[in-house]
Amino acid sequence: MRTALVLLFLLAIASVPGSVLPQRGIDPLAVQQYYTAHPALAPWLARLSLFDVFGSPWFAAIYLLLFTSLAGCVFPRTFRLVGAARQQPPHAPRHLSRLPLASQYRTAMSPPQALTVASEMLSRKRFRVATGEGWVSAEKGYLREVGNLLFHLALLALLAAVAMGGMFGYKADRLLVEGQSFANTVTELDTFSPGRAVSAADLQPFTISLNKFSATYIRSGSLRGQPASFNAYIHYAPTVGAPFRAYDLRVNHPLSVDGVRVFLIGHGYAPVFKVTDGAGQVVFNQPVPFIAVEQAGLTSEGVIKVPDAQPQQLGFAGVFLPTVYDSGGVLQSAFPAPLDPAVSLVSYAGNLNMNGGPPQSVYRLDTAGMHRLPVAPRPLAPGQSITLPHGYGKLTFTGYRQWASLAITYDPGTLPALFAGLAALAGLLLSFFVRRRRVFVRAHPDPDGVTSVEVGALARSDAAGGLEAEFASLLDQFSAAHQGIPPGPPAAPKSPGQTASVTTREPSGSGEPPEPSASGERSGPPVSASTPGRVRAPSLSMGGSTRPDATGDQPIPNPTEGD
Amino acid sequence: MPINYGLANLSHYAFLLTVVTYALAVLAYAGDLAFGREVLAALKSAPRREAALVGVGAAAPAQEGAAASGGAVSGVAPPEAGGGAPTGSVGTAGDGSPGIQGRAAPRMGAWVRVALGLTMVGLAMHILGVVSRGLAVHRLPWGDMYEFVTTVTCVAVAFFLFLMLRYRAYRLGLFVLGPVVVLLGIAETLIYTPAGQLPPALQSYWLAIHVTSITLATGAFVVAALFTVTYLLAERNARRAGKGLAEATGGIMRFLPSPKVIDQLSYRLVVFGFPLWTFGIIAGAIWADEAWGRYWGWDPTETWAFITWVVYAGYLHARATAGWRGRRAAYIQLIGFGCLLFNTVVVSLLIKGLHSYAGLS
Repeated sequence: MRTALVLLFLLAIASVPGSVLPQRGIDPLAVQQYYTAHPALAPWLARLSLFDVFGSPWFAAIYLLLFTSLAGCVFPRTFRLVGAARQQPPHAPRHLSRLPLASQYRTAMSPPQALTVASEMLSRKRFRVATGEGWVSAEKGYLREVGNLLFHLALLALLAAVAMGGMFGYKADRLLVEGQSFANTVTELDTFSPGRAVSAADLQPFTISLNKFSATYIRSGSLRGQPASFNAYIHYAPTVGAPFRAYDLRVNHPLSVDGVRVFLIGHGYAPVFKVTDGAGQVVFNQPVPFIAVEQAGLTSEGVIKVPDAQPQQLGFAGVFLPTVYDSGGVLQSAFPAPLDPAVSLVSYAGNLNMNGGPPQSVYRLDTAGMHRLPVAPRPLAPGQSITLPHGYGKLTFTGYRQWASLAITYDPGTLPALFAGLAALAGLLLSFFVRRRRVFVRAHPDPDGVTSVEVGALARSDAAGGLEAEFASLLDQFSAAHQGIPPGPPAAPKSPGQTASVTTREPSGSGEPPEPSASGERSGPPVSASTPGRVRAPSLSMGGSTRPDATGDQPIPNPTEGD
Repeated sequence: MPINYGLANLSHYAFLLTVVTYALAVLAYAGDLAFGREVLAALKSAPRREAALVGVGAAAPAQEGAAASGGAVSGVAPPEAGGGAPTGSVGTAGDGSPGIQGRAAPRMGAWVRVALGLTMVGLAMHILGVVSRGLAVHRLPWGDMYEFVTTVTCVAVAFFLFLMLRYRAYRLGLFVLGPVVVLLGIAETLIYTPAGQLPPALQSYWLAIHVTSITLATGAFVVAALFTVTYLLAERNARRAGKGLAEATGGIMRFLPSPKVIDQLSYRLVVFGFPLWTFGIIAGAIWADEAWGRYWGWDPTETWAFITWVVYAGYLHARATAGWRGRRAAYIQLIGFGCLLFNTVVVSLLIKGLHSYAGLS
C-alpha cells in the first residue's frame, strides 16, 4: 500500500509540469506560442518531453513501475490474506495489563462460566474466537487486508482499462459546415488517432450531415456576449444506406451510434466567397471555415486559396467580424452573433506553393512566392466585392454559414475504468478505516474465591482512535453480562466485583507523548441503575461522552451519547 | 428563464451582512480569548491554576496535572480518584471541569454565547444568500468562482458550527471564522460576479453531482486545514512546554482544546471529505466522458484534483500507519490542502484549461 501510494505520489508530482506548461496533445497552438515567447528555453523543455509530459518516457517509467509494484505486491498479499484467513487468533498474553488497553474487574461467576459468556459474546460480534486454558482470544478486522488487496487489484484493472482504451479505441475530429456531410472513414476525417489495434476497416460506417447550427448569446447585462446555447441539428445514418434520423447535438448531449459517440466540441463561421479570375471564370465558390481568435466577439481568421485562378494564383488572408465596429481605425467585433457581419481581406497574387513540398495547413497562407496586391483595406458586407488590380479578377463575399466541429471517440475501456475506479475507492476506504484488532479475556479465581476477569485489547493500526470506544463498550457489556449471574456480593462501592479499572498504555514505538484519553471522563452514570456506585467503564474516544462532572455545575445534555 | 435581479440583489446584500456578522463573531471569539471568564479567573489565581489547567495532550504537564489531581496518570484515573462523586476526570483542571475539552471551558461564557449567536445568525444570512442566488439564476448557485467561494465558505461554517456544538470546541472559532471572513470579503469585492446564465458546457445535471460533492469536500478540507494549523500551534507549544521552553498554558494556548482533540476533529473532517472528493472526481470523470468524449485527459484541473487526492490518501495512510501520526501526518494534510488551494486559485484563474469557468477576466 505504501509503495503504491508513493508511486502514485510520484505520478502526481510528474504530472505537475503537464498542468503548468502547454501540452502538444491538448493545445498545440499554445506550445508554438511558448516557443515564440521563450526561444532559448523551449527546445530544452522539449528535449525533456515537457511539452508532452503524459506521453514522455519518464512518465511512462513511473506508471510502469507502479504497474510492476502492484503486480509484484498482489501475490504476496494474496498469500498473506489466505494465511490470515485460516489463522486462528493467537494465545492470549499472560499479562493483559501490559496491553495498550486493559481492564480488570471481578465477578461472582466461575472462571469457565465467565470465559464462555465472553467468548459467546465475541462470537456474536463476529470476532474470530479461540479459547484455551483460562483465556479467550478474539480477532476482527480481516476486511482491512481484503481492502488492501482489492485496492491493488483495482489499480491494476484501471491501468488495464486505460491500456485497453489505448489499444482498441480511437479519436477523430471533423469540421462540418452547414449543408455538408461526411462518412466515418479515414479519408473524410480531419484528424484520426487510432489505437494500436485499430485499422481503418474497424471504423463504424455511419454518415452525418449538418443541417443547421444555431448559437444563442446573452444579449444584455454584464454577461453580454456569453454563449447561452449551442445546437447542431444533424441527420445521421447508422450504416450505409440506412434511413437518416434527426438529432439535436448539444454540448453535454453526445450522439451515440454503434458504440461510438459524437460530440459537439467547437463552432465558428464560414464566410462564403466567390472568386472570378482574370479570364472571367468562376474558379472558387464555397464556404471557408474561419477559426475564432477571441471569444468575446468571435473575431475569426482564415485564408482563401485559389490555385486555379489565371493568370496568377490568388490568396487571401481574412478576418471575419460577426458584429463589426470601427474602434479608432481598428476593426473589431462587438458581439459573437452575426448582427452586422463583415470581412476584411488582404489579397495576394503569385505562387501558392501548393505543388510539392510538405503538406500545407488550410488555415495558413504561404506568402513566400506571392506579392501583396494594393487593394484599399475596406471591410466587405455580404454581397460586396473587391476588384483586384492588374486584371487579376474579382472576389465577392456572398454570405456566411456556420460550422460545427465534431469529435468522434470510441473507448471500450470506459466502463471497465469506472468499475475499477469504484473498486479501488472501496478497497482504499476498507484499508483506511477497518481496524484489525484483538481482544483477550483471562479469568482466574482470586485467593478469596471470587473470579477476577482481565480484558485487554490492541489494534495494529487505529487511525480514527475508535478502539478505545469499542473497548469501553465491550468492557461494559462483559461486566454487565458477568454481573448478571446471581448471587454476587452486595453492591457497594469498592466491594469486590463492583469496580472496573482501565489502564491505557501507548503502544511502544509510536514516538509520541502518551495518548491523552481525550474524553476519559470517569463519572458517567452507573451501567445499571441497580448497582449504584459502580464506575462505568470509561469511553476513551474523543467523540465519547462529555458529561459534566458532579461538581455542582448544571448538567449539560450530552450531544454525543451513543457515539 | 430570465434572471431575477431582485433576488440576485438580495443575495448580494445577504452576503455583505454575513461578512459583517461573521466579523463581529470573530471579535467576540477574540474577546473570549482575551477577556473571557477563564482568563479573569486565571489571572486571579494564577499559580495554582497553572498546574491544574494543563491539558490532556502535553506529556510532562500531564504528569504534573496528574500529580495534582491524585494520580490520574495517562488518561485514566483509578477508581479511588473517581469514587462516588468523581472529580478526577482525565487531565482535568483542578476544579473538576471535564477533560474532553482539555482547556476548553465546560460552559459558555458571555463572550462565547455572543460569538455563537452571531455565528448562527451569520450562517443563516449566508444560507439565505446562497439560496436566493440559486433562485435568482434558476440553478444550483455554484457555477462560477464567486458562487463557488460563497458556497464553500457556507459549507465550511456549517461544518464548523456542527463540530463546535458537538464537541464544544468554542475556542477554535477565531481560527476558523477569521479566514472565512477574509475569503467572503474577497468574494464580495475582488471576484464578485453578477448573477447570470451558465455557458452550455455547464448545462448538465452533472453540475449538481460533480460540483456539489467537490464543494462539500472542499468545505470539510478547509475546516480540517484550519484545525490542523491550530493543532500544529498547540502541539508545538505542548512540545516546547515538555522541554521547559514555554509555558504549557501561555497565551491563548491555555484556552484551546488539547492538541489531540483538535487533531481528531481535523482527521474526522478529512475522513468525511475524502470519499466525497473521490466521488467528485469519479463523477467529474463521468461528466468529462459525456461532455468531452474522454474520462481523463490530464486537464490542469484534473491533474491537480488527482494530486490533491493522492496527498490526502497519503495523509489517511499515514494516520493508519504507526509512527506517522501527529505532526508528520498533519504536514501531509497541509500539503494536500495547499494543492487544493493551488487548484482553486492558481489553476482556475491563471492556467487555461477546460475547467476555466471562473467567470473572471
